[in-house]
Amino acid sequence: MTDGSSGSLLPSDPELDLSVPPKPEYVRTVRHTVGALARLHGVPEDVIEDIKLAVSEASTTALAVNAALSIPEPIEVRAWAAAAIMVLEVLDGGPGPAKEILGDPEELDTGDLPFEKALSLPLIRGLVDEVALGPRPGGGSSLRMTVSLQPEG
Amino acid sequence: MDLDVETTQRGDASILTLRGEIDVYTAPRLRQSIVDLVDGGSRRIIVDMEKVDFLDSTGLGVLVEGLKRVKTREGELAIVATHDKILKIFDITGLNKAFPIHATVDEAFQEAAPSA
Repeated sequence: MTDGSSGSLLPSDPELDLSVPPKPEYVRTVRHTVGALARLHGVPEDVIEDIKLAVSEASTTALAVNAALSIPEPIEVRAWAAAAIMVLEVLDGGPGPAKEILGDPEELDTGDLPFEKALSLPLIRGLVDEVALGPRPGGGSSLRMTVSLQPEG
Repeated sequence: MDLDVETTQRGDASILTLRGEIDVYTAPRLRQSIVDLVDGGSRRIIVDMEKVDFLDSTGLGVLVEGLKRVKTREGELAIVATHDKILKIFDITGLNKAFPIHATVDEAFQEAAPSA
């Protein structure tokens, strides 16, 4: 069984399925784990750096959403890799589409986290080929990113 | 790798030398260092990012906050960075227009020096 929604044949089960506590110190663990997976697939180092940053941004957003809503549940990160693409999905407990990443800062109290919402999504969009914000089945929000691994030209 | 922040003084400029990764966990340390410098009277701050392995929007947010803080006191905050992975982040977000970005600390020091 495959998922063709990103224009490539991907296994339905992610190659990486990671749950981490919604705490700032775990964002580093997420990006290094995802980076290691990309390296395993022979992804070029400059693309790995983009992938690490994109997943780190998405995880920080998920962390801020969960913290603002006092949701203690883990942040979930999933990754699929195929010959031509890598798909990354970060899931939080926010209500509906991850509007908090774009929303009015006054709507989201991130406490002591120096979270810069206005910069995060533009940065993600500058690093990956596709970004999809949507509801998470069963509740919460999903931020799905697709990175092309095809050489340009 | 964690984040190491070292502060040195050169003339009237305070140089923050950063080593490691700047993310949501470590950025508060950078923020505090900048706040301490500005509150302590520093008006010229040079942030040396040559040994920074990772920078995200949280770190950028802290730098923007520091820039605003020092500018309200008619000061300046300059960046030293040459690695593509760091410069790219400033480029994507458009913040390369907000900060003076230099290739070396010497260049930043000379550029930021007030005219006699």
